[in-house]
Amino acid sequence: MSLAPPLVEFHDVTVAYGRRPVLWNVDLTISEPCLFGVVGPNGAGKSTLLKAALGLVPLAGGMVRLFGQPLERVRRRVGYVPQRETVDWDFPVSVMDVVLMGTYSRVGWLRRPAAAERAVARESLARVGLEDLADRQIGRLSGGQQQRVFLARALAQQADVYFLDEPMAGVDARSQEQILAVLSGLRDAGKLVIVVHHDLRAVTDWFDAVALIDMRLVAAGPTRETLTPDNLRRTYAGAIDVLDEVGRAVQRRSRTP
Amino acid sequence: MTSADFLSEVGPMHGWAMATAAVVSAAAAMVGTLLVVRRMSLLGDAISHAVLPGIVVAVLAGGRPGGPLVIVGAVVAALVTVWLTQVLRDGVGVAEDAGAGVVFTTLFALGVVLVTAAASRIDLDPGCILYGILELVPFDTISVGRWNVPRAFLTGLAVLVLIGLGLLVTWRLQVFVAFDADAARAAGMPVAAATLSLLAATAMTAVAGFEAVGAILVVAMLVVPAAAAELLGRRLSRVMAMAVALGVVGSVLGYLAAWKWNTNAAGMIAVVLGVEYAMAVIFAPEEGLLARGIGQIWLRWRVACEDQLAAVWRREEAAGTGLAAAAAPHGFIDRLARAWLAMAGRLRRVDGEWTLDPRARPAAEMIVRSHRLWEAWLGRHAELPVDHLHPPAEWMEHHLGADVRRQIEADLGWQASDPHGSEIPPER
Repeated sequence: MSLAPPLVEFHDVTVAYGRRPVLWNVDLTISEPCLFGVVGPNGAGKSTLLKAALGLVPLAGGMVRLFGQPLERVRRRVGYVPQRETVDWDFPVSVMDVVLMGTYSRVGWLRRPAAAERAVARESLARVGLEDLADRQIGRLSGGQQQRVFLARALAQQADVYFLDEPMAGVDARSQEQILAVLSGLRDAGKLVIVVHHDLRAVTDWFDAVALIDMRLVAAGPTRETLTPDNLRRTYAGAIDVLDEVGRAVQRRSRTP
Repeated sequence: MTSADFLSEVGPMHGWAMATAAVVSAAAAMVGTLLVVRRMSLLGDAISHAVLPGIVVAVLAGGRPGGPLVIVGAVVAALVTVWLTQVLRDGVGVAEDAGAGVVFTTLFALGVVLVTAAASRIDLDPGCILYGILELVPFDTISVGRWNVPRAFLTGLAVLVLIGLGLLVTWRLQVFVAFDADAARAAGMPVAAATLSLLAATAMTAVAGFEAVGAILVVAMLVVPAAAAELLGRRLSRVMAMAVALGVVGSVLGYLAAWKWNTNAAGMIAVVLGVEYAMAVIFAPEEGLLARGIGQIWLRWRVACEDQLAAVWRREEAAGTGLAAAAAPHGFIDRLARAWLAMAGRLRRVDGEWTLDPRARPAAEMIVRSHRLWEAWLGRHAELPVDHLHPPAEWMEHHLGADVRRQIEADLGWQASDPHGSEIPPER
């Protein structure tokens, strides 16, 4: 019996914007399906970590493996829910249009979505409680409903690993509950769900395991063992000033030839 | 002069000119719709200018205006523009709009310099590059079978068909990328190819537009119908269809108007497109100024009517307890509202006092209920002195539905009275 490769593996990952590193030498391995929280203060590089895993930002160093393989080989097994504010919600598309986009990575965008894809999309909408709003223009939804549309799009992809960026931000209590129920359902179905979350409240109730991030990985592991006062102190008041200063120094040095 | 006489007088020559403007406008509207929803209209502006040096170099190298070599030259110039803008942004840190502004004006100027310097050797005229020569389009023809078809029309038609087919094939990809490029990239969509093909389509439109309407006004065809259509549609396919319709109608009307008033056709087309945009801004069904204005007036009227009903309800309540109630608002609209309510039989004059008709009583009671619930909720949850609770409730009473009222009531633990001690009427 061969040992299954870890679902997600960050190996010494460093990410820089311009030339200034914003995420330093992250080593993180997640082997088991679970609800995994990425927690840390604002500007800690949580979204950047997600984007690094998804190939949306270039790595200044290190590598990411998913299912033991480079991302390009396994893209369709990876679902992504970006931050809600990153898109223009006045964009002229309907809820159904957006959810169907989730099926493109499996069946391609050339072909008109067939009945099977529409069924998947409708079922995904039903799971987030929006089956009645399929034809609505996305701008006419509440913030919580918009977030659930994004989640439904990821569900329609039928991936094995899901990355979600702040899915609970600015969302009403009902949507929050519903989103959490869907995410727990995914975990129970054997999927890995990685959630960026900036708020410390309820972290222990929601996540099986967490990574505490503050421009570097402070700690990672089962939630109760990891969320210690000491780790939290190191995350929220830790070495950020030093790393920030070093980052600026790197930027300055690389500008002068 | 009847419209039939007018059209027959316009004649086949003008028909070709209009058809040319229409095909160019249709192609530009398609491309422009994607540029506008991607918030890239400035880049469309930049590209449609910056292609000039590409065109001139292609013509100097032996290409025919509007021919394949010229289109290649234009696309290359467009990509150079975008690349230089990105180099300025990422490498030097220049803001994108400033960078694009510098790059496209410089390239356009370079094109003007080249075209003027080489004027004796090539069949390009600086004036027509700027303003177009739509009126002369019918005289430069190619025979297609038995027909003499204007060259500019054929270029425009070819570009239109190419862009139309391209969109038909890549539609879902383009929509996904336009809506959420990051998610599209994460899902493995060819985002860069989608964007590059849009830029190439913009350059091709500019080539077709140069001959018909000139560099300055092709921008109007790219951006204005699409911007107007964006106000009118809720799905991208509809928005694009409407942009094409607005572009074609604007081209034909603009040309006819220019012919009638004997002025520059390209300029007149752009003016008509601008008028179409203004009409969309005013008359758009939901976003339009008119719809918003009517919505405001309707709200003001509803508030006035509800204030009158609530005031009478409070007076009747006060008569029961022997306390004095506040007087009803009596501005002009308020008195008008009261007169209307009396005419509609909702309010009656009994013994010199206004009283509520039984039919109007539930509505009046629910307004007072909303008012007092909100006062009670604010009194509980906001640190406000008691005399500051009335104004916000006076506003909020017109906006709370039955659901919200029940929710507030539950949150208050079914508190029976407001902070002033008045009873909160129960939900009906």
